[in-house]
Amino acid sequence: MVTESRGYRVFQLVNGIVLTAVVLVTLFPFVNIVARSFSGEQEIRSGQVTLWPKGFNTTTYEKVMSDALFWTNYRNTVVYTVVATVIALFLTTCYAYVLSKRQLRGRSVLVGVAVFTMFFNGGLIPNYVLVSALGLRNTLWAIVLPNAISVFNLLVMKAFFESLPTELEEAAAVDGSGTYGTLLRIVLPLSKAVLATMLLFYAVAFWNSWFAGFLYMDKQELFPVTVYLRNLIAGATSGTDVTATSEAALQIAASIQAVTIVLTMLPIMLVYPFIQRFFVSGVMLGAVKG
Amino acid sequence: MVQLTRRHLLTAAGAAAVAGIAGCSSSPEESADLDEKRAGAMDGFKAGDQFKATEPLTFSIMMLSNQGYPYKADWPFFKELTARTNVTVESTAVPGSDYNQKRSVMVSAGDAPFIIPKTYHPDEEAFIAGGAILPVSDYAELMPHFTEKVAKWNLQPNLDQFKAEDGKYYLLPGLHENAWQDYTLAVRTDVMTKLGLSQPQTFDDLTNVLREMKKAHPDLYPLSDRWSTPPQPGANNLLNLIGTAYDAHVGWGWTPTHWDAAASKFVYSGSTDQYRQTLEYVNTLVKEGLLDPESFTQTDDVARQKFANGKSFMISANAQTVVNEARKDIAKIPGATVAKLILPTGPMGATLPGTSRLENGIMISKKALESKNFVAMMQFIDWLWYSDAGLMFSKWGIDGQTYSGKVDDGSFKLDPGITWAGINPDAPKNLQVDYGFSNGVFAYGGSTAMLNSQFSDEEKAFQAEMNKRQVREVSPPAPLSIEEREQVTLWDSALKDHVFQNTLKFALGQRPLSEWDAYVKELEGKNSTQYLDIVNKAHERYKKAHG
Repeated sequence: MVTESRGYRVFQLVNGIVLTAVVLVTLFPFVNIVARSFSGEQEIRSGQVTLWPKGFNTTTYEKVMSDALFWTNYRNTVVYTVVATVIALFLTTCYAYVLSKRQLRGRSVLVGVAVFTMFFNGGLIPNYVLVSALGLRNTLWAIVLPNAISVFNLLVMKAFFESLPTELEEAAAVDGSGTYGTLLRIVLPLSKAVLATMLLFYAVAFWNSWFAGFLYMDKQELFPVTVYLRNLIAGATSGTDVTATSEAALQIAASIQAVTIVLTMLPIMLVYPFIQRFFVSGVMLGAVKG
Repeated sequence: MVQLTRRHLLTAAGAAAVAGIAGCSSSPEESADLDEKRAGAMDGFKAGDQFKATEPLTFSIMMLSNQGYPYKADWPFFKELTARTNVTVESTAVPGSDYNQKRSVMVSAGDAPFIIPKTYHPDEEAFIAGGAILPVSDYAELMPHFTEKVAKWNLQPNLDQFKAEDGKYYLLPGLHENAWQDYTLAVRTDVMTKLGLSQPQTFDDLTNVLREMKKAHPDLYPLSDRWSTPPQPGANNLLNLIGTAYDAHVGWGWTPTHWDAAASKFVYSGSTDQYRQTLEYVNTLVKEGLLDPESFTQTDDVARQKFANGKSFMISANAQTVVNEARKDIAKIPGATVAKLILPTGPMGATLPGTSRLENGIMISKKALESKNFVAMMQFIDWLWYSDAGLMFSKWGIDGQTYSGKVDDGSFKLDPGITWAGINPDAPKNLQVDYGFSNGVFAYGGSTAMLNSQFSDEEKAFQAEMNKRQVREVSPPAPLSIEEREQVTLWDSALKDHVFQNTLKFALGQRPLSEWDAYVKELEGKNSTQYLDIVNKAHERYKKAHG
């Protein structure tokens, strides 16, 4: 039986305390937001709500969720996010893998082209003119294509591929594997961690994005839910709306932000546990012998 | 390979440039004959006529979707509009939260719908140089109802303020028959009655009322105010109300320049004597403990809580906040009542500034001029936004279905099954949500009778008093060129910051008013004189060119 040294136990204790504190600090805003979203107007305004709903009230949820347009827009967001993420992940992986090959001629030009767009872009109106001229407005592609490759993600992925030992690919080549075979059978299975990270980055970005949807869609049925909720918040908090007379309107004004956060946060948060198992270290431990 | 890339780049740059220019190109036939553009238009269309296109027409419109009543294509409003005018409007729905941004992109890209409503002056100025919007003043003669109302209600001076350097205006604003004063102070009437106080007529009377309240309740500030959102100095409504009485542009009423009719030139608002008098008045209130010094910094919620807990007896209000907030807030104080105070007057007597008589309005895309239905479109706009029948329709809907009676003789009544802004609160249907009427895109402005039709009796009594007040003349136009505007903007923020900071200091007594002259010198050090030179020159130039 191995006894733990005293120092180690103290370390574990301190570690536990610090990590618990971090968890609490991280969780508190979430819990507070959830509590606010279920609280009454008076209680929210007077700042009584901390961890538990006070003056339990679901008017805002009912109002938001009873609107057919909300669900239409919600479905749009799911579709846009899934399609955009799949395409973005595919394109980024292809581009990054190519860029990671040092023997590739013209590699620096290809990197330069990508990096150039990080610092310079056409600007809002030329982009709008371009997307309109390509006939992409009011289609899914207006949201997907202009944002299909995030250069930051591309560079992260390229760095990851570069860090893979070339010996593995050489070994695959010796065994008769072609370029695509190597990518599909050797490189990608070893890159689950970075793929999962990219998946999250893209999915969260597309899920949260509202501007492309707002700019390129001219019909409300095509908006992502973020645009819907943004408009709801603006209307509820502007205070200039003469219709805001009823109790319900005041209740909505008080809790709409919390409700909105909960509604948009929930689905994307549920993705995390499923992806977490890919964040493992040591897949390649001992793959290459020194 | 490098060459190829470069060529590609050049081609791409060229294409982008062409697209950009296409968006900004100005039509060559600006003053050309409109004869070829009369398809569907009515011959001899005049004020009082019902517009009906002679053939079915479709006009595109930028449609702000309000959160309170999100846009629906199947609103009865649209159906009835087509039945009455033979016009179908094709909407680009834009969420109200970011309407201005989308409008800006679409107009700049040359891709905007023909009709672009919900534009607040001076937002349209940004689009003039690009040439994507129409100088609507050139086509005012196509709009008999508009021109009639401008003449009848004497609104030409107000419209002149909208003019650009070329002497034309680019926005068709909503027109109000009278100045509409909604904001004032709300007061605990039960406290007034208990102390035997009568309604103050002037701001000096108001001081006395506050003094009596303070005498009876020495431990509190009788007036603790709200609406202190920056950038203005705080207590922005209160400052504006006092400024109205003293003819100062202050608080919400801030504008950098002030027309001095006697000297017939513009002076800097922040250094006028009227501005100083306003601050003197406020400073007196603070000094005597009548006005809560936190009024300038506290949030609305805090101010409301003080009022709700009986820790103050007066607070800034409008018709809506009296009913929705103040009255609900004090419900738990036994016997407490609250009402709008008739706006006290000051040295300017029973007058109101005339600046509030133009509403937000419509820009028209220059592309519309190329349409053969251009004249019909202008007639359509004229009828819907400016005729009494059109205003009545967009505001209240269909006679016999959504309302009955007339607004002119006060017999107007909303259908009991329909609710709107507190009228018929328990009715099953909503005029805006379910019918599409009273939509901010279409329904604004109009006659005083029309405006009154939406008020409660209490508010009507308040408005009756306000309507007795004389409307002051507005300042003459002084349109700046683009370069001038840029220059002035550079100076403006530094000046404004200094004025707002010192407004607060003077009001709170942190800086004695004896330092007023030093303060004026400081403003001059920040180029207030050069600022005025530019504005006054622009005014002279405009006068010479356009009379």
